Amino acid sequence: MSKKMILAIASLSVVGLMLSACGSATQSATETVAPAGSATNTGPATAVAQTATNTPLALGSVKINGAGATFPLPVYSAWTYAYKYVDPSVVINYQGIGSGGGKKAIIDGTVDFAGSDSLVTDAEYASGKDLQMYPMVAGAVAPVYNIKWAKDFPTGTPVPVLVLDRQTLVDIYNAKVTKWNDPELVTTNPGLKDYLPAATITAVHRSDGSGTTEIFTKSLTSFSADWTAGGATAVEWPVDKAGNGIGGKGNQGVAAAVINTPNSIGYVELAYAISNTMSYASMVNKAGNTVVANSSSLTSAMGDFANGFTDKLTATIVDAPGAGSWPIAGYTYLVLHTQSMTDCVKAEKILEFIRWALTDPAAGQQASNLGYSVLPAAVRDSVLAKLGAVTCKGNLVLK
Amino acid sequence: MINKSRTPLSVLGKFRKRMGKSLHHGDRVWQVLTISMGICVLLLILSIGWTLWQGSVDARLKFGLSFLLPTLDASWNPVLDKFQAWPFIYGTLITSAMAILLALPISLGIGIFLAELCPGWLRLPLGWMLELLAAIPSVVFGLWGIFVFLPAVVEPVGSVLGHTLGSLPILGSLFAGSIPVSGASRLAASMILTIMIVPTISAVTRDVFLAIPHSQREAAFALGATEWETISQVLVPYGLSGILGAVILGLGRALGETMAVTMVIGNSIEGTLSLLRPGYTMSSVIANEFAEAVSPLHSQSLIEIGLLLFVITLLLNLLARFLVWRVARRAPQQEVRG
Repeated sequence: MSKKMILAIASLSVVGLMLSACGSATQSATETVAPAGSATNTGPATAVAQTATNTPLALGSVKINGAGATFPLPVYSAWTYAYKYVDPSVVINYQGIGSGGGKKAIIDGTVDFAGSDSLVTDAEYASGKDLQMYPMVAGAVAPVYNIKWAKDFPTGTPVPVLVLDRQTLVDIYNAKVTKWNDPELVTTNPGLKDYLPAATITAVHRSDGSGTTEIFTKSLTSFSADWTAGGATAVEWPVDKAGNGIGGKGNQGVAAAVINTPNSIGYVELAYAISNTMSYASMVNKAGNTVVANSSSLTSAMGDFANGFTDKLTATIVDAPGAGSWPIAGYTYLVLHTQSMTDCVKAEKILEFIRWALTDPAAGQQASNLGYSVLPAAVRDSVLAKLGAVTCKGNLVLK
Repeated sequence: MINKSRTPLSVLGKFRKRMGKSLHHGDRVWQVLTISMGICVLLLILSIGWTLWQGSVDARLKFGLSFLLPTLDASWNPVLDKFQAWPFIYGTLITSAMAILLALPISLGIGIFLAELCPGWLRLPLGWMLELLAAIPSVVFGLWGIFVFLPAVVEPVGSVLGHTLGSLPILGSLFAGSIPVSGASRLAASMILTIMIVPTISAVTRDVFLAIPHSQREAAFALGATEWETISQVLVPYGLSGILGAVILGLGRALGETMAVTMVIGNSIEGTLSLLRPGYTMSSVIANEFAEAVSPLHSQSLIEIGLLLFVITLLLNLLARFLVWRVARRAPQQEVRG
């Protein structure tokens, strides 16, 4: 009996030890994700004024952690890498865990900034208190297609680009237009009349929740009242119910599905379509003009909505009315706490980084090279003005 | 000199006597250590279950049993916050069941060949190859599936099945409709899973056969049994519980496999039972949607699917254990002992 007692007590204590070991392990893990600023918090607000002028901080001593959307991950990676040469004291680490995860992390305070393609909801503003969104760059989404033409094109002539009406795109994803030679498609593509096959259209969409899907479905919502599935990071696709839909994981998954499925259509980020040399369709925009997805049509779309920003600096730029505007586009945002940051050195470094990313020509060039569009001057100025209003412990952070 | 050196020894001896035999060879320490490790496993399972149960509380309260309702027009709508898990449950169960059905004869054949019939020089390299196949990461299977296996094998096989079995009265609903040109379908997932679990099942089956005492074979041969009769009437019944164990291992992998299935199944919530149409599985939907599940109800529903998967896996394992136990009780070697 007593032996058993000893045994039980001993085993319990060992389990306890192991559990506490587990506990400390998770704690150190969160510390690496979000250091509480023990090393960097050199002093009160006076330090902010000092660092700008004298006493340079040690190399890599300010560690800034961000997490969120994967849509801007390529450009954020390029920027944080380049920024090491602009300010060697700063190390920025951005993890692409998804917009939802990023917003949760900034509300919980486990990261210093979050990236998000989707807007912060009222409930999230309530629990996050002083959250503010800042648009950083815009990206376009392009419909990509793979059509097995009914007959060969005459040699020497380039294959014409498919043109889609806004209503037609909605009808395809609603499974109302199910054949490539549907009259709706022939109307917008008179030159392809004899080449469009009588084959069923397979509509490919993202299977994972994604900002790309949100931009795409919000566009469909705006294009036509027929689209009732709504606009969100994941929706219930009518084309799935009809049996003509396929979900692919990530941009790669959608691209692979389109490439492997003759007579299919899908949607990917423009940068992705270009780098994979996929055929992407032109669109007839709200003004009735046929536009190609590129940085100028994207900039035009941003310009159309330059005055449409809310107090939280959010704006949708889908279905832009301008003559040369690409209709399927969206901003990607950084999310910050505007008043409750406690480490003022770090706060200053974050804001300096954002200011650099928005204003430095080299940073803008990097974004364009990766297929994003930088903000038009008017939008950028209002973002910078909002950045200037950020406070730490009651003092303005940017001087 | 001798006296002096004895003193410390005798002290050690007394200490040993006082502590009894418990410290002898560290037996007791070892026992305590291993028991606490065992308890740790139990605690882990309980805490996983508890976390999943707690994390899905709102979804469970809101949807109740309608979440599980087996209906063909189940909806999974993050925009309207309306979630039903049936398409995913069905997808997981049908693909795993098909995979086991396809993998069992193949693996049994491989296992028997390797253990009983294979010439000595081939046994080792073939065994290595089998283990290599088991070590390939699932994402590689998925990629290979998308670009090679689906268009080359699944799509043709699927069309043939659709044309032949599709018109049968009851079985036909499993082969209704036409397979997508890309091949992405429940059938594709089943076949990829088959390839993935064959190495596991056949390796274990081979070991089971190798572990059967030679006396069994000799006795059978002595009675005039042919090789086929020895294998089918003596060795297979003898090793049945071990083979069932191998199937459990394979089933476990099939139920939980995420990446390869996600890449080939089509990820579409379609209202049919057909193997030839795109589908969705429980693990796929969690992997796909969890990162961007913004509304609380959405993430809670995904956690509830995780809970379901946890429960289904547990139940199936229990059932399999029960089967193994039943079989083991009837097995010849046990009868001799009993």
